[in-house]
Amino acid sequence: MAVKKDLSIEYLGVKCENPFFLSSSPVGSDYDMVSKCFEEGWGGVFYKTIGFWIPDECSPRFDQNNKEGLPWIGFKNMEMISDKPTEYNFEQIRKLKRKYPDKVIVASIMGENEKEWRDLATLAEQAEADLIEGNFSCPQMTTCAMGSDVGTNPELTEKYSKAVTEGSKLPFIAKMTPNITNMEIPARAAIAGGAKGISAINTIKSITNIDYENMTGMPVVDGKSSISGYSGAAARPIALRFVAQLLQDMELRGVPISGIGGIETWRDALDYLVLGCRNVQVTTAIMQYGYRIVEDMISGVSHWMDERGYDKLDDFIGIALPNLVPADQIRRTFKILPSFDLSRCIGCGRCYISCYDGAHQAILWDEKKRRPSLDEKKCVGCHLCINVCPVQGVIGAGEVKWLPDKLKKFEDKRNKIAMKHNYE
Amino acid sequence: MSKVVKAKYTTEAVCGFTHRTAMEEAARCLLCIDAPCSKGCPAGTDPGKFIRSIRFRNVKGAAETIRENNILGGSCARICPYDRLCEEFCSRCGIDKPIKIGKLQRYAIEQEKLHKMKTLVAPAKKKNAKVACVGAGPASLACASELAKEGYRVTIFEKEEKPGGVLTYGITPSRLPQSVVDHDIAQVRRLGVKFIMNTEVGKDVNLDEMGFDAVFIGAGLWSAKKPDIKGTDLKGVYTAVDFLKKARTKKNDFKPGNVVVVVGGGDVALDCAVTAKLLGAQDVKVVYRRTLEESPATMDAWHYAMSLGIGVTTNMAPGEIQGAKKVEYAVFTGRDKKSEMKIACDTVVFAIGQKPEDMKKITAAKLNEKGGIAANSKGKTNMAKVFAAGDIVNGGKSAVEAVRDGKEAAYSIMKYFEKKGVK
Repeated sequence: MAVKKDLSIEYLGVKCENPFFLSSSPVGSDYDMVSKCFEEGWGGVFYKTIGFWIPDECSPRFDQNNKEGLPWIGFKNMEMISDKPTEYNFEQIRKLKRKYPDKVIVASIMGENEKEWRDLATLAEQAEADLIEGNFSCPQMTTCAMGSDVGTNPELTEKYSKAVTEGSKLPFIAKMTPNITNMEIPARAAIAGGAKGISAINTIKSITNIDYENMTGMPVVDGKSSISGYSGAAARPIALRFVAQLLQDMELRGVPISGIGGIETWRDALDYLVLGCRNVQVTTAIMQYGYRIVEDMISGVSHWMDERGYDKLDDFIGIALPNLVPADQIRRTFKILPSFDLSRCIGCGRCYISCYDGAHQAILWDEKKRRPSLDEKKCVGCHLCINVCPVQGVIGAGEVKWLPDKLKKFEDKRNKIAMKHNYE
Repeated sequence: MSKVVKAKYTTEAVCGFTHRTAMEEAARCLLCIDAPCSKGCPAGTDPGKFIRSIRFRNVKGAAETIRENNILGGSCARICPYDRLCEEFCSRCGIDKPIKIGKLQRYAIEQEKLHKMKTLVAPAKKKNAKVACVGAGPASLACASELAKEGYRVTIFEKEEKPGGVLTYGITPSRLPQSVVDHDIAQVRRLGVKFIMNTEVGKDVNLDEMGFDAVFIGAGLWSAKKPDIKGTDLKGVYTAVDFLKKARTKKNDFKPGNVVVVVGGGDVALDCAVTAKLLGAQDVKVVYRRTLEESPATMDAWHYAMSLGIGVTTNMAPGEIQGAKKVEYAVFTGRDKKSEMKIACDTVVFAIGQKPEDMKKITAAKLNEKGGIAANSKGKTNMAKVFAAGDIVNGGKSAVEAVRDGKEAAYSIMKYFEKKGVK
């Protein structure tokens, strides 16, 4: 029997069958698409942002970044909010909610002024949406009264959050832009304005590639291009950082966070959950692979829970957060040397090159035998070698060396786990 | 029922890389510190460097590296026995399978052609010395190019209509298309090397009377061996040289027969078998006197032949060809002296090696015991101004080894001229 765990979770007072949602984007922009994603197992959808203002989209509107032939490391898009009529979109939400009462539908909205925000919120509630998300963060709007220009301005964020809560009693989630130094500031403003939850992150302002024929960025639209949002696997580490800082902010304590950014696999989703997110959202990986990726998210997290003996998500949500500490609290007396299994080594010398050119010249190279050896005196335990070695299992964690604690900064309480993770 | 590959004689057997698949393959490369692949290439093509160029999106730089080091980079990319050269040394073998070095080389040269790159340029100021190269095969082309790059005036004499030697006349186009050979030779021509075709040295011209300051002999092996058995003069009996050349020049007008028996176990034998099959023979069998592991052909070549539906029998040597006027049966006896085999067939091709033609007509230099030119690994003969390399010296090896030896001979020739004070 396939391992199946209870992945249900309460999010802003709404019961969700699992925490895996579509983020507000092209992947959830009408009835047929959303009903297909529900059939394939997604717990809910942040329906593509609805406004009174209808955008005029460009062609082409996507580009992607690749490395060594591996495409979609990062993805850039120039699409704005829904280009369908406002009433039509709310009608889709109403139809979906009636057909799928157990699935969660969040109406994402974006107005140009307080009245619009208020009216959109009212319409969302009338359409029987479960929740409302305010898009304060789209970085490629053609008007500066909307999008990430709002999310970087705490006064506007608070004002519009207030308008939404006036227009509807549904819990309101503010979606944040990463194109800012401290996301906590607008997030606090949104909460002050009445928001109950925060989503992060929206896409990162970017230029993925330069087209040398047209001498502009990509995609090229009639000879020109624009800076616009970057997402996908490359964005995940940046998103995790923002999310962790929101979760650690004293003023935002208890505010549920929905994590967004580069989720493709169950592990990517789990990263957000163990940091403390109660919900995760996905778009880019769906654009590349389709809704079906949720099957392995559900199965993968279930197997992990089974392995660890967890019965529900609340058993582990947020358990990694306390171990993320400021850099000055990292114990500097701890050093873990690499160890080499030379029986598996194929002699490429990559560890030697990287250690010499990029680290501390601590690996010696036997040209005749084509094998590395470690100069323990020079090795600082940085593990660059482990990260570059192309063969699984050759370089791993070796002996732990404790350096004298001259500053007496840390208690003499040593952790039992030296290094479990092996970078694979 | 086994599914066999159906192919056309002139269609290439293996398709090349696109930008994307080339990059995927280059990404598999471990970029070793000492690039053992580069040490494994006789001609010094330096795959370690050109694969790194592809990986860092510098395809033109990759093509430059190949062309500067190996004038026949395009042809070698198709026909090299990688499995015992660069790819055998590839460190990736320790993980799974080697990088497809030959295929990446082919990709880079295809880009060279596409972008009409002009990598090699001869110096405007010519040196005051003239060199004649006998034969327009791999050794001569390599020698002539190295000399021309340094400003020497080089003339190649070739008895056939087209240059390329074994590349043009001795390999199936499914393995090496003529356009690839022609593209390589175009690079030699760009260096200002003169080609005099349809001209046999020692018969049509006498080099001694033409005022050359040095002579390089890269004549190749063009006299085919036949076993000393009964029936080899019957109609339907070919030597590999004749068989491949006829196919290559007449293409689809050449009818190889219906039941073809190829005798031999080298790349040439397999080229004959593949040629016969692709030109419409119903049944083709290769009979080799030793075992597969003793055979000089690469395992890839055996696999390809078998994929076309060609059968193989080992440890059987030819005893007699029977028939009235034309071939009717080929009779073999076993290496064990007990087994016997009689095959009804209409065509027999002997691909059991080639030997030199009469070299005395060309040069007074000392010959080796096989009738080729006696020369050392630097291409020096017993005569100061006569140099030789390639199959005519080594008795028949790969094209990439002929390139290496042709280059070495060119360096010897340059040293000879430098000593004489040529400027």
